[in-house]
Amino acid sequence: MVITYLEAISQALRDEMRRDGDVLLLGEDIAAFGGAFKITRGFLEEFGAGRVIDTPISESGFVGAACAAAIEGLRPVVEFQFADFIACAFDQIVNYAAKACYRWGTPVPVVFRGPSGGGFRGGPFHSQNPEAWFTHVPGLKVVQPSTPYDAKGLLKAAIRDNNPVIYFEHKHLYRRIREDVPDDDFIVPLGVADVKRPGRDLTIVTYGAMVHESLAAAERLSKEGAECEVIDLRTLVPLDKESFLSSVRRTSRAMVVYEAHLTGGFGAEVAAIIAQEAFDALDAPVTRVASLDVPVPFAPALEDAVLPNADKIYRAAVDVLEY
Amino acid sequence: MTIGSPDALPAAGAAADDVCDPRFLDPAIDRTSIAPDEPVAREDLASWYRAMRLARTFEDKLAALYRQGRIVGAVYLGTGQEAIATGVVSLLRRDDYFSTVARGLSGWFLRGVEPRDVMGRWFGKDIPPSHGRDLGLFLADLPGYGIAPYHNGSMASWIPSGAGFALAFKYRKQPRVYAALTGDGATSPGDFYEGLNFAAIHKLPLVVIVENNCYGYSTPTSLQMPVKNVADRAPAFNIPGTIGFGNDIFEVRRLVSAAIDRARRGEGPSLVEFKTFRRRGHGEHDDMGYVPRELRDFWERRDPIRLLREYLLGGAGWTAGEVAAIDAECAAHIDRAVEEAAALPDPKPESVEWRLFAE
Repeated sequence: MVITYLEAISQALRDEMRRDGDVLLLGEDIAAFGGAFKITRGFLEEFGAGRVIDTPISESGFVGAACAAAIEGLRPVVEFQFADFIACAFDQIVNYAAKACYRWGTPVPVVFRGPSGGGFRGGPFHSQNPEAWFTHVPGLKVVQPSTPYDAKGLLKAAIRDNNPVIYFEHKHLYRRIREDVPDDDFIVPLGVADVKRPGRDLTIVTYGAMVHESLAAAERLSKEGAECEVIDLRTLVPLDKESFLSSVRRTSRAMVVYEAHLTGGFGAEVAAIIAQEAFDALDAPVTRVASLDVPVPFAPALEDAVLPNADKIYRAAVDVLEY
Repeated sequence: MTIGSPDALPAAGAAADDVCDPRFLDPAIDRTSIAPDEPVAREDLASWYRAMRLARTFEDKLAALYRQGRIVGAVYLGTGQEAIATGVVSLLRRDDYFSTVARGLSGWFLRGVEPRDVMGRWFGKDIPPSHGRDLGLFLADLPGYGIAPYHNGSMASWIPSGAGFALAFKYRKQPRVYAALTGDGATSPGDFYEGLNFAAIHKLPLVVIVENNCYGYSTPTSLQMPVKNVADRAPAFNIPGTIGFGNDIFEVRRLVSAAIDRARRGEGPSLVEFKTFRRRGHGEHDDMGYVPRELRDFWERRDPIRLLREYLLGGAGWTAGEVAAIDAECAAHIDRAVEEAAALPDPKPESVEWRLFAE
């Protein structure tokens, strides 16, 4: 059935709740209201208030509670109304969820869903891509789907994983991206990247919303005779290094595209891995395309200046190809 | 702030800005001798006294080892607070959970944790379930002892997690409770409010026990909170808040028992505050020069082990020899624990990346 990215997330949650009575949801306004983005519309009616819990506006409190419930064997899925608000629960995630298994051997099977990303005039506190805050912390898995198929399969895999998984779903993809997704049960395993477009001249490593911008740039370049390979990491932790290293060894050119801020972003890690492990294969410097190092501003003219897009990716790719 | 002598303390309920220093006990709950309301079985008295004595002996030894440079990392002692964890744990069922830092060592020992295994962690040894990853200060072992894992050193951060364990109990319709032992300093961070708020809304079986030991590191409670008592904050959650003398194990049991019963009946959380005193520094690196002499003297006379011992030899009718036998057994036990802990293997460097993730 053809569904949107948003419907895919909703389907995955509903499927998993039907399959496993230990799966429960916590978040702000997710019950009667169905969530700020309507991901959980109808869930209260189907699963009841015991499994679809409207929380007070206190992220640290309900995240800490969810972690403990997970340690006790439940499988909570926490919805942050916006990924930006995950900052309020930082301590519980990085010091509790991330370290409990290493310290004490207690698995923490919890999923944190963070509606992330810009491009819809949300301003500084409703547009961020905070994945690098968490990829830096050992013990957390970080997922960033770009398509409805991946969104559904990765969320199911995340819920079944015995570790804390942060699942960043890009708000700007919610209703814009749709595709045919099987109704039946499937997962997309964590830690396996996907080649979204094959090519021989340049490897573009990307994830999340930038997959679509990179594909648009690749399409334009193709008309000009250059074939880009677009690799969607899908999960940042665990990282499928071989997916892009083997690609770079064939194309000899690499770009990393991510919507988060340039400095210290996860793409910097990817670039470093390529530089260190595929240096001999490179014919051009590894190039990053990312957001400017300023907060995401509100006014359309300003936000567009900050975020990467297909045109900026295209221009950077031309430089790499002509190097 | 004026440090009043205990004799000069005004009556309970006097104006808040009087000369009363909350670090001295309010006369309404102050006492220098203790006794239970009703008869207590001899073996119970023995097990409580033993747990407290074992913890004190362990800590005295630990402090000595620290000064000899034999201990890895910093050392934090709960000397003077032993009655609280002992009283709380004495009320828990086997499938209830609780959390403390090492200041609640007596609770761990009453629960059955072997002193050797605690000492081994201070030595940085390879013992389950931490295998050298965490400090001696922390212990979590859910399957073994129902001691829940928690976070960093912020003792507020485990109020939300206590609510989460309690949520799981309620979700599964299990009549279990979670006892979170924490401190006065932990009632300042937001986590304290967020956790209790959530637990109170959903009437979760959480009991928060605050050991108000007069200081958060070096900062007195007067600079930590604008209220005289931590329990004064309970009305914000529409839950009971009670205050007791934490060095009286019988009082600890009386107040916590009511809170546990309420939680088990499904009526929600409680906040129980015990006035006590940290008789040593925040850690052994801290000479506690900021604590007035008269305050130390006041609390030394009210030491929890001393009070229980005097009850055993008085009202309970034990002989000096009977008490001395437990003391001697504890001393031997700790000597043996140190010896055995030192002989445990160190964790292997090649194990360092193991178990970052669960299978």
